[in-house]
Amino acid sequence: MKKRFFSSLEPYLFVAPLALFVVFFVFIPILGTVWSSFYSDVTFLERRFSFLQNYGALFSDPGFWKSLRFTLLFISVAVPLELIIGTAFAVVLDLEIPLRGLLRACVLIPWAIPSAISARIWELIYNYSFGLANFLLAKTGLARGPVNWLGTDFGAFAAVTAADVWKTAPFVAIIVLAGLQAVPRDLKLQAKIDRANFAQVFFKVTLPLLKPVLVVALLFRTIDSLRIFDVLYVLTHGGPGGATASVSLYAYKYFLGGDFGYGSAASVALFLVSFALSCLCVKYSGFTEAAS
Amino acid sequence: MKEETLVSALTFAAACFMAVFSLAPFLYMFATSFSASPDYLTGGFNFTLANYSDVLGVRSLHFLDYLRNSLVVSFVSSAATVLLASLAAYAITRLEMKGKAAILLFVLAVSMFPQVSLIGYLFRVMTELDLINTRTALVLPYIAWILPLALWILVSYFAQIPKELDRAAVIDGCTKWQVLFKVLLPVALPGIFSTALLSFIFAFNEFLFALMLTTDYQSRTIPVGIALFQGLHGETPWGQIMAASTLTTLPILLFTLLFQRHIVQGLTRGAVKG
Amino acid sequence: MKSLLKLAVLLPLLVSACSKKPAELVFAVGGAPNELDFWETVAADFRKETGISVRILRQPTDSDQRRQGILIPLKAEKNDPDVFLMDIAWIPQFAASGWLRDLDAAAGAPVDTAPFWKNIVDRSDRYGGKLVALPVYVDAGLLYYRKDLLKKYGYAKPPATWKDLLEISARVQAAVRKENPEFYAFAWQGAQYEGLVCDFLEFAGAKGGLRTENGRLLAATPENIKALAFMRDLVSKYKISPPNTYTEMKEEEVRLFFQKGNALFERNWPYAWGLHQAEGSPVKDKTGICPLPGFAGPDSVSTLGGWHIGLSKYSDKPEDAARFIKYVLSKKVQKELSLKLGWNPARRDVYGDPEVLKVHPHFTQLRNIFDNAVPRPGLPYYTQVSEALQRRLNAGVSGNEEPAAALEAAQKEIDAVAARYGGGK
Repeated sequence: MKKRFFSSLEPYLFVAPLALFVVFFVFIPILGTVWSSFYSDVTFLERRFSFLQNYGALFSDPGFWKSLRFTLLFISVAVPLELIIGTAFAVVLDLEIPLRGLLRACVLIPWAIPSAISARIWELIYNYSFGLANFLLAKTGLARGPVNWLGTDFGAFAAVTAADVWKTAPFVAIIVLAGLQAVPRDLKLQAKIDRANFAQVFFKVTLPLLKPVLVVALLFRTIDSLRIFDVLYVLTHGGPGGATASVSLYAYKYFLGGDFGYGSAASVALFLVSFALSCLCVKYSGFTEAAS
Repeated sequence: MKEETLVSALTFAAACFMAVFSLAPFLYMFATSFSASPDYLTGGFNFTLANYSDVLGVRSLHFLDYLRNSLVVSFVSSAATVLLASLAAYAITRLEMKGKAAILLFVLAVSMFPQVSLIGYLFRVMTELDLINTRTALVLPYIAWILPLALWILVSYFAQIPKELDRAAVIDGCTKWQVLFKVLLPVALPGIFSTALLSFIFAFNEFLFALMLTTDYQSRTIPVGIALFQGLHGETPWGQIMAASTLTTLPILLFTLLFQRHIVQGLTRGAVKG
Repeated sequence: MKSLLKLAVLLPLLVSACSKKPAELVFAVGGAPNELDFWETVAADFRKETGISVRILRQPTDSDQRRQGILIPLKAEKNDPDVFLMDIAWIPQFAASGWLRDLDAAAGAPVDTAPFWKNIVDRSDRYGGKLVALPVYVDAGLLYYRKDLLKKYGYAKPPATWKDLLEISARVQAAVRKENPEFYAFAWQGAQYEGLVCDFLEFAGAKGGLRTENGRLLAATPENIKALAFMRDLVSKYKISPPNTYTEMKEEEVRLFFQKGNALFERNWPYAWGLHQAEGSPVKDKTGICPLPGFAGPDSVSTLGGWHIGLSKYSDKPEDAARFIKYVLSKKVQKELSLKLGWNPARRDVYGDPEVLKVHPHFTQLRNIFDNAVPRPGLPYYTQVSEALQRRLNAGVSGNEEPAAALEAAQKEIDAVAARYGGGK
């Protein structure tokens, strides 16, 4: 009897270490952050319970709303671009071309490099006086003078988006490619015999079959873009004038100012947005269908 | 016939574009790292190895320290993650237990949390444990952070291995541990390898935890080191930054070229089969 | 099973075992490369004299990143670094957080503050009646100018007002552009960082700036709005400051821009003097310094800056650290500081030293400038005030917000910050 009890517990023993780690280093910290957000926790003030005061200050700070607006705008521009470019890449990678493996590896490289490092490369590319971007513009005559990439709201937004799309489109490409390869060859062949051209085959036959994969990519990319930090930290520091400060960067700046309570409140707000957005994604995209 | 040549020409052009799109920034990095000054596009290129000798030779720049920290932290995190995830994946795919779906969903939810919402409290915990500015302070949260991904990939690998294999082993008198370590893991080796590679890359690329939980070269990792790089020659030392970036990037580049099949497999398992 | 558990427990320990602590004093300092080299020699000399080894913890040049590098270990109660240099603007926060040791107590006897500028020590280094920091060097904004260019185009003196500066700039820039298309007349710090606030206070002049009225910090005054509009116009209307002023221009970027011969005027701290005059510098012997211009002539202001040394509450070697601080502030080291780096030491007696005056005749001029130097508000929450200001000023300079709107928005944010943090401990 006793033995049977133990053996019914045994499976949980296998899962326990993983669960412990996740609970200790992810779950408890989240709860801890929520708890801290109810405190006035500033290095130079007495720590005291202040309940919703941090949230009151947060919601009345235009800087916070600006960072939230930037974050959402960034997602709505960057993620569709990533999906389109990634899918286009996947289509090419699915064709029978020489050196396909090598090309696939090349496409993968931007994804594998730490974004702090690639952001520094982009920082140099966007450099006003001697960067590659302005050099190319001057050579091709596309712009009259050098563009102040990181100096204007629009320029900085475009610069950050380009750097992020470059880094993450490969991820989309790779998983869409897997989806493409799962599309039965006969189906494409059949469509060809029916004298459909390449575009028709793609939009009428392939794309609908790709929907589950695209939904997964959309979900992953949305959640990941929501927490964008490193690219901004390196490229713009949130500038000019806070135009490219994501919520993560906004919260981080308060941690460094010594205000841990307020920084926690901002991160909890981000957590809630992230949670709501993933629920929306799951609900409206039929992720659950796709999973089952 | 004509149409076919057109199509293959277009395909070739697209492939070239993709290669350039992906690699051009690295070529720029590479070229800059050998240039005496970063304005060589207009000012003329002067070849030099000084950036490399500075980055590798000047101890107070700590490039090698950062690199070593990154390698140690990523390696330990990746090894521990794979081990813990294998145990759990085994239980989920092979043993009778309640709440399997709940565990998988719970773990998936965890991977969606923004890092910044953990960092404030993690900082306090690490302060209490006196672990700030140690590699342990990074390894522990990294393991927890990467585990969900690893679990999803491994579950899909393990589920593919025919159950007859371990049934036969059980009949031969193996315990559950033996089944896992002697039968399943060897068969799932490619999957384990993919998972380990991906975990390594994730740990190697992490930025925010490393930024907040380390203070100097004793534990700082390479992404933070390069983001805060301070050179020997005032201004932003582009040549040295690019030399350091090249030295960091090259191994990953080779790694990716060599093992792209495994990385791709891991990624698609984690995302598509999920 | 057991061995697995052991592994799980030991793994983290193994990792931490690699990072053992060397038994030495750690001194966190950042800045331009020659600065770091200088501190290395100071540390070596100190070791020769006392046998105490000091490790220099290299920090970035960027002031925000330096602050981050000190704040994190202090907040985490780490015993490294023991000693650090603080920007004058951080002292109130660090002191109010209880991170700075009483230097009198650490030294075992009251520290003699007579050699230093009394107003600076009293205003910045005492907190709650205790001596928590000491100045290492004093900074104030200066105008650097190209003597040769002014002479070539027929100007006998550097400008005393901004109006003069505009006139001279327009003419000289138009002429020099023909040979050097990268030339801009006036380089200053406009990137979104603390330096922008310092520059702003100088443009705002004696009547503007961040004054307190009935306990309220005033940002959106007419003088300040005028100053911000002027800063924006320098870039976009008069076009005598480079277009990357508000994205990239920090001290070092400005210094190098001027040093390459690409500018006629430069607003910078005194440290640039030594570098401009260094062997191999294209502007060597062609550079002059003077007080910054004002809108109506003599109402010019320069922002008081400078770095002060502090001793961590969490230091495990406070006696050694106090000895090191004393050594850094000795006349010998302070003199070297001015001779080797061209900086302005905090000790007044160095300014009368004939050997120093021979190398730096401009030191006599600096005294006046220091007398007019305006400190930034001494608030524990100055960082938060500055953060809001940096953001809004940067938006104003870049033209993204109208100067008045930017400063009014800054005022609102500052009021909110004061309401939140003004309670005091």
